[in-house]
Amino acid sequence: MRTTLSSPRILLTRDIDVSPRIAVGILLGILLMGIFVVGYDQGHLFSFVQGQEAFDTMWMHEFYHDMRHAAGFPCH
Amino acid sequence: MKAFTFVIITLLSGTIAGTILGIINLALVEPYIDRAISIETQTAVKEGEVIDPVELQDYRLWQKGGEIAAGAILGMSIGALFGIVFLYSRNSLLQHSNSNIRKALILAGIMWFVLFLVPALKYPANPPAVGDPETIYYRESLYIGLVAISGFSALGLALLYWKSGNKVPNNRYRFITVLIIYTAIIAGAFYILPPNPDKISVPQDLVQDFRIASALTMSIFWGLLAIIFGAFWNRFKPHEVAKITTV
Repeated sequence: MRTTLSSPRILLTRDIDVSPRIAVGILLGILLMGIFVVGYDQGHLFSFVQGQEAFDTMWMHEFYHDMRHAAGFPCH
Repeated sequence: MKAFTFVIITLLSGTIAGTILGIINLALVEPYIDRAISIETQTAVKEGEVIDPVELQDYRLWQKGGEIAAGAILGMSIGALFGIVFLYSRNSLLQHSNSNIRKALILAGIMWFVLFLVPALKYPANPPAVGDPETIYYRESLYIGLVAISGFSALGLALLYWKSGNKVPNNRYRFITVLIIYTAIIAGAFYILPPNPDKISVPQDLVQDFRIASALTMSIFWGLLAIIFGAFWNRFKPHEVAKITTV
C-alpha cells in the first residue's frame, strides 16, 4: 500500500494492490460448477433435495439438453 | 489490480457471449435437433410408446428456453476460465500491441483450438437420437479426459515456452518445438483413447449438418467472448492499481 500527497485539494491517495488469488478462486469455482451443471449433471444436484427420483427425472439435464448437444457434450 | 472489476467483467462478458450463443443456436442448431427428436419420436411410436404431440411440443418449448439459460451459464463458466488464463498471459500475448481485444482474440483462438476443436475431432458433437443412455458416464469420462489432456498439455507447454526464453532465445525454434510435442501428445491420446461406443442410427447428412452448425456457433461464441472481454478490459483496465482518494 502506497500513500502520496498529490494536490492541495486531494489530501491523500492510497493504492490498493489486491492479489488476484481470491478472484481466481471465485472464477474457478464458477467454472467447475457451471460446466458440471450444463454438461455433466444427470440428476446429482437435485438428488440432494429430491433423492433417488432426481436421477430418473433429470430435470436439469432435460432443461439444458439442447445446449448440451449443441456445445458438444456427450448426451443420451 | 482491481480484482472486483476483473471478476465482474469476466463473468459479464462470458454471460453476454453465452446468451448470444443460445439465441444463435435457436436459429442455426435447433432445426437439426428438432429433426433428430422427430426421428426419435417416430421410432418410439413404432415400438409402441404413446406420445402426446401437444405435450411433446410444450416440452420442446421448455427445452428451447433452457437453451438460452444454459448458454448464459456455459458462457459464464467458459468466460471464467478465459479470464483466468488472460490475466496470467496478457503480458506475454502480442507484446508489441496495446490492444486487449487483439490479445483476447489470439488467446480465444488458442483456447478454441485446444478445448473445443481438438476434442471435437475425436469425439464430435452428436444430435439427439445418437447416444445410448447406458453409456453416458463412459462417454463423459472419455470426453473430459481428452479435454483435460489437451488443455493441461497446452498449459504446460505454454509455461515451458515462456520459461525457456532465456536459454533458447529463438522464438520460432521454441514455438515449433512445443507444437511438435503438443501434436505428439494429442496423436498419442487419439490412438490410446477408445472411440465413441454408440452407433449412429440417424441419417448421416443430419449428423454432418448438425456438427457443422454446432462448430460454427461455438466458434462464433469464442470470437464474441474475446471481443466483449477485450473491450471491457480496455474500458475498465482491471490490471491497473485501484486507488482510493480522500478529498
